[in-house]
Amino acid sequence: MAIETEARWVPIAVSCDILDGTVIPARLPTGPIAVWRSASGSLYANGDRCPHRGMRLSQGFVRGETLSCIYHGWRFGADGACQKIPAHPKVSPPKTINCGPLPVTEANGVVWGAATSPVDAPDQFVGHDALRSLVVAASTDAIASACEGEWVGEAIAVTLGGQNTILLLNPYGPAEVLVIALVPRGLTAPDLVRVSTALEALRRSAEAVGEAA
Amino acid sequence: MTPDSVRNAWYPVGLLSDLNPDGKESLLLGETITIFGSDMGEPRVECGGRGLPVVPRFGHLWTSLGAPDKDLFTIPEADHPDRTLVDVGVVRVKCSPLRAVENFLDIAHFPFVHTDILGAESHPEVSDYQVKIRDDVDEVWATKVEFYQPQAAKSAGGGIMTEYMYRVPTPTCSILYKTCPPRPGEWDVIALFVQPLTEDLCDVWPWMALFDDESAMTDLIHFQQLIFLQDRSILESQIPKRLPLDPAMETPTRADLTSVAYRRWLKRQNYTYGAQLVAG
Amino acid sequence: MILYDYILSPSCYKLRLLASLLDVPLELRAVDFHPGREHKGAALLALNPAGCLPILVDGDLVLTESAAILAYLAAQSGPNWLADGDPQAIALQQQWLSFSHRLAEALGGARLVEMLHFDGDLEALQSDGIAALRELEAALFTRRIAGGTFLVGDMPSIADIACFPYVALAPDGSISLDPYPSIRLWMRALRSLPGFIEMPGIHRLHELAPDPFAKDLS
Repeated sequence: MAIETEARWVPIAVSCDILDGTVIPARLPTGPIAVWRSASGSLYANGDRCPHRGMRLSQGFVRGETLSCIYHGWRFGADGACQKIPAHPKVSPPKTINCGPLPVTEANGVVWGAATSPVDAPDQFVGHDALRSLVVAASTDAIASACEGEWVGEAIAVTLGGQNTILLLNPYGPAEVLVIALVPRGLTAPDLVRVSTALEALRRSAEAVGEAA
Repeated sequence: MTPDSVRNAWYPVGLLSDLNPDGKESLLLGETITIFGSDMGEPRVECGGRGLPVVPRFGHLWTSLGAPDKDLFTIPEADHPDRTLVDVGVVRVKCSPLRAVENFLDIAHFPFVHTDILGAESHPEVSDYQVKIRDDVDEVWATKVEFYQPQAAKSAGGGIMTEYMYRVPTPTCSILYKTCPPRPGEWDVIALFVQPLTEDLCDVWPWMALFDDESAMTDLIHFQQLIFLQDRSILESQIPKRLPLDPAMETPTRADLTSVAYRRWLKRQNYTYGAQLVAG
Repeated sequence: MILYDYILSPSCYKLRLLASLLDVPLELRAVDFHPGREHKGAALLALNPAGCLPILVDGDLVLTESAAILAYLAAQSGPNWLADGDPQAIALQQQWLSFSHRLAEALGGARLVEMLHFDGDLEALQSDGIAALRELEAALFTRRIAGGTFLVGDMPSIADIACFPYVALAPDGSISLDPYPSIRLWMRALRSLPGFIEMPGIHRLHELAPDPFAKDLS
């Protein structure tokens, strides 16, 4: 059972929201994670907790190919291993100190994460790209009922701002969901703004549905 | 059930200069208390209609929910008539009271959290220092702690090697003695008094006794608030909220020997309020 | 120019920040706002009867609204930080300056309750704060679609500086910034500007400084 829930790709962010050399907070069903892109553009994820003092690594910073904790500057590499402890600059950190690397991949402009490596690639949405993410304070059911969309596997297909939009859902809790909207490739800027505006309206409806329930 | 060691300890609950005769509600160890000032100079604290023991000291009012088996600690150095005593004021922090104290005992974070003030990224090394649990006074002491500081105090003109001593006289209070730039040979005294509201919420009352003839009082307050508020965002982000006493939960290094001793000392006296005993 | 300043005030920080970005010297007068409540004392009430900070004194001129002080500093020393000529840009800048008051009331209010024991309806302040952050996120996302990074036009302006501090300090009032990727990118752009200074609760971007271990880790 654990493997079924953990070895599954979960949509966690929009690719272009993570610039080279930056780290962001994200969430898997198993807990908070830090997702970062190194200076050379490689994407990594690990638990959002420094093994030293429990500080959130998503508040840290990226230099070169390492992620640093903001608290004491401990530096972690692609494999999660601690490479440097600034308080003891001449000491090589023991190999056992590790921030827990996690599988992460990108498709359709979406960053997908998993607690353990899934066998298959994430779902493909041909001809679509991620537009933006937003967090809705309502249940997935409230979102589905507010937008009158159609379930396509674990996503919802819906017309928003006149465009065929796909909503990927990552439930953070019973009444909190990360929604990532995918739109057809090649839309004009005004079209994109219309979808974004419709998405805001959808959030208002879903949260109103949730409050009424 | 809260252990006796927790109920019988002394805690700060307000500034003596800011007590209200009509009473002000607060929390101590999750229980509602009311703090009364008085025109007659006799402040009192009540909990559920019961009067609690009080001691006015170091600019603050101190109380205890139980029957303290020790007097409130003293800071003899702070009695020097030339010192400026500074009430820095309260700051609320959503963290374990013990995490707040442990952060105060830590110097390795200076280059990253107090950058170019208490530490610099170019000088991150923490050299070996002495730590012991002093059984004669039942206090944790760290001595010979040395660190390069770009601006060690409001009164410091530039970067200096600063020497620190840390003292933990009671589980939620710590006193720092540090090199005093205008008076070589003397120590500035900077204390962190923590009022545990609940296990993951605290009011922090920094207090100082300094040799500083130059700086205005407000500048000294601002400097200490600047430093403490740089820590606050860290303290509110640590996971888990409670201080883990299980050695497997976090990874100390030689730079963390004070915190290792502090955690051991808490465990030894069964001071578990704000602590997490097993990983989970 | 004398700025009556409190180190923990986001509104004072706006002015210190813009002054630093424009390389304008300010003479700072530290005010014992907390715990001393000096801003409610006779001397400062004489300068600002509203009993709040910041206060900027330049000769005979006394200014007490941060948006006005931002405009004054920019007009004197950084005209490209001020919308000028284009009616749409002037209006948008004005709109964001007004919006910054909502941020101050909601996010700033929640912060004072959570941090410094002020009275207030925390839940209502947080809810208003989240509503304001959502508006800002949507607007910044729209700017990104148009290729923009900042609130008005191609360059950072006083509108960005007016909104930035209370947004960045939202977590002080227990309001998470995690759900707002466009706000995160906008804050990063502002924190990367030459001359950027920090305040307690807003850390600098350490990665912009040279890597002390570049040789060890390459």
